[in-house]
Amino acid sequence: MSKILRVKGLQKRFGKVQALKDVTFDVEAGEVVGFIGPNGAGKSTTIRILLGIIKMDSGDAKIFGKDVWKDSFEIHKRISYVPGEVALWGNLTGGEIIDLFMKLHGAGDRAKRDYLIERFELEPRKKAKGYSKGNRQKVGLIAALSVDSDLYIFDEPTSGLDPLMEQVFQEEVEKIKEAGKSVLLSSHILSEVERLADKVVIIRQGEIVEAGTLEELRHLTRSTVVLETEKDVSKLRDIKGVHDFVQRDDQGIFSVENKYLNDILIEATKLGVKKFEANPPTLEDLFMRHYKG
Amino acid sequence: MKEQFARWNILFIQYLKRDWKKIIFWVLGLGLFASAFVPAMEEITRGEGLLGMYETMKNPAMISMVGPTPIETANDYTLGAMYSHMMLLFSALFAMTISMLHIIGHTRKEEDLGLTELIRSFQVGRQSNSLAVIVETVLINILIMFFVAGVMISFGADSISTEGAFLFGASIGVAGIMGAGIALIMAQIMPISSAATGSSLGIMGLLYIIRGGTDISNADLSMLNPLGWTYLTYPFTQDNLKPIIYALIFSVITIIIAFALEGARDMGAGYLPQKEGRAEAKKSLLSVPGLFIRLNRGIIISWLIAFIILGAAYGAIYGDIESFIDSNELIQQMFAHSGVSIEESFTGTIMMVMAALVAILPIAIVNKLFSEERGLYLSQIYGTKVRRSQLYWTSVTLAIGVAIIGILFAAGGLGGAAISVMEDSSMDIFDFLAIGYNLLPIVLFFTALAALTLGWMPRLGKVIYGYLTYSFFLNYFEGMLDLPEPLLKTIPQSWIPNMPMEDFDIGIFIIMTGLSILLMLIGYLGYSRRDMIEGD
Repeated sequence: MSKILRVKGLQKRFGKVQALKDVTFDVEAGEVVGFIGPNGAGKSTTIRILLGIIKMDSGDAKIFGKDVWKDSFEIHKRISYVPGEVALWGNLTGGEIIDLFMKLHGAGDRAKRDYLIERFELEPRKKAKGYSKGNRQKVGLIAALSVDSDLYIFDEPTSGLDPLMEQVFQEEVEKIKEAGKSVLLSSHILSEVERLADKVVIIRQGEIVEAGTLEELRHLTRSTVVLETEKDVSKLRDIKGVHDFVQRDDQGIFSVENKYLNDILIEATKLGVKKFEANPPTLEDLFMRHYKG
Repeated sequence: MKEQFARWNILFIQYLKRDWKKIIFWVLGLGLFASAFVPAMEEITRGEGLLGMYETMKNPAMISMVGPTPIETANDYTLGAMYSHMMLLFSALFAMTISMLHIIGHTRKEEDLGLTELIRSFQVGRQSNSLAVIVETVLINILIMFFVAGVMISFGADSISTEGAFLFGASIGVAGIMGAGIALIMAQIMPISSAATGSSLGIMGLLYIIRGGTDISNADLSMLNPLGWTYLTYPFTQDNLKPIIYALIFSVITIIIAFALEGARDMGAGYLPQKEGRAEAKKSLLSVPGLFIRLNRGIIISWLIAFIILGAAYGAIYGDIESFIDSNELIQQMFAHSGVSIEESFTGTIMMVMAALVAILPIAIVNKLFSEERGLYLSQIYGTKVRRSQLYWTSVTLAIGVAIIGILFAAGGLGGAAISVMEDSSMDIFDFLAIGYNLLPIVLFFTALAALTLGWMPRLGKVIYGYLTYSFFLNYFEGMLDLPEPLLKTIPQSWIPNMPMEDFDIGIFIIMTGLSILLMLIGYLGYSRRDMIEGD
């Protein structure tokens, strides 16, 4: 697979604040990458560097093999971007602004535009000052999705959208993915990332703390096991790889390091297994692991 | 009925707490604007000044702007008569505007923002907010009345009587209250707050223009105009109380209508449907220049109109210029330059004033690019194939364009009006335009400074206005005060020959223009390299 986006050792300082310390990750062709982290972790700063809105202090960032600062004009021909906060000119209508963005981008599709306006249930004749946050977001999204690009960068795209519209957005991203395009999706909504992303990049305080496919990340993380046995389940408490053991009647609930799973199961069968449930960690578990304590 | 207004008094107290800083600013700002020029006016009226002013103010162009005076002979034109003639209508307009903005800002605007919904979820009547805001506004206007009267009386001028001063203050106060009533009605009728603001100001503008017409043709007709009920009180001359009573009746009726309208509508709804815009953009919008012209359209048109009106207003006094200047020693000093006609000398000075005003518009346009950047409006555009050079040079070019057109309008307005009122003029329209365009490099220089800060220190964009103001005053008072040469050289106005007293200097014109372009280029270097500042 060819690399669409490659970021290595990105650093950025604003005055005294070191906003980015070390940001490194890739986006391959046809891949949806979820970029997650709390507010202030550096998601938007990273994205702004990728778009040439601000300049990195050091590191290397390339899109389509081109430098994001020097060749931003060439890069922008083939990307679509929706900022985290879509601010619109109050006196222009949503329809006018969509047309303007499409025209400035260059490769717009009118039919797609009209289709998306209908799908997102936007009133294009309304002046933008009358739009709610969700409606402003829709304008940004429709403009970005109506143009043909190879890389789509969305910064918190569904903030302010209602669940139905979130659904519409996710369906549209799935279509992009099927068409073999790449997506960098910065988001708070972990269920959304879980559904759409092939790969997850977790950023904390300007550093990437985890990157990989969901499968890989899950493997690194403990699963939660619920086990009911005929004999005393508390014997499992001291086996290597078992953590946070809690007993409720005959049930033992604990987390397991995946590499010890086999040993634990062997021990468990000696106790006579009546019930066994294993839940892989959700993205939320993965995420929280980096932010708790 | 009572339920409608439940707990309005709690809101009222709350609003006074919320707004106290604004109220102080409001009362002081408007109050001083209306009252504090008494000593300055006294200065102008020294000697034969009042006679000259009387002649000047009798000009129909002036009457259509500031209103008529009941005085029929120049000898009766006292300081008080002149003060209320010149200042009352403008003060009333000012009072009306602020009250309108305040009312809509705290009624319809809060409704649009969803604040009202929150307030109404408490045990608060459905119309308590409107009642609290209107009572607050009435109270503020009463405060203004007393403040204005107090300040005016404190100067102790002969012709400024206590009754007159209170009438003057009351005229301004009722203007504010009438504005509040009109705005409250519009807040009910219109579908959105900006439409309510626009229509309220529009009504005021319309009333102003109508009274301009009726003041010249038949001042009795102005008595039918709510705006007329302010300056037609004629403080310090006739002390006519009747208009105040009309104004109060009008205010009560409008406020009652507004409450009836509000009681019968749903929250967030209006009586007029929301005006729909275009579903698709016109071709003219679809480019960076198209967008920037559209974004700056309102401010460009309104300033250009202001330039032409201002030019015409100065031009209108050319007819009486000699009596005006002869009558006052201070003004004589300002305008007297030996060896040229008084018209020419006056034109040179006035054009310098207007060049400084014209410079505001291009500075505003260049600064606008930064306020757009900071307000996140351009974020999505940064992701398209628009180069920074396009954003920068489109703004700068637009600014240069309006600088050129602005001088045309200001000099054209001045020249056109001047030539039409002078019986035998020594100057033709091209003389006026030449004098105006001689000053183009000054305007370009200020534009270039704005561009330079946009590129390197965008947060300091507003400082350019400060420098412009400084240069304006230094240049304006240059003739009166004996200022040292090095101090004068700190402003671009002094680098250029003062036409028509001095001859046009092509060398300086080219050097200053070139310097301005150079500064713009340096600004671009900064703009193309710096981080865009978004959202802080």
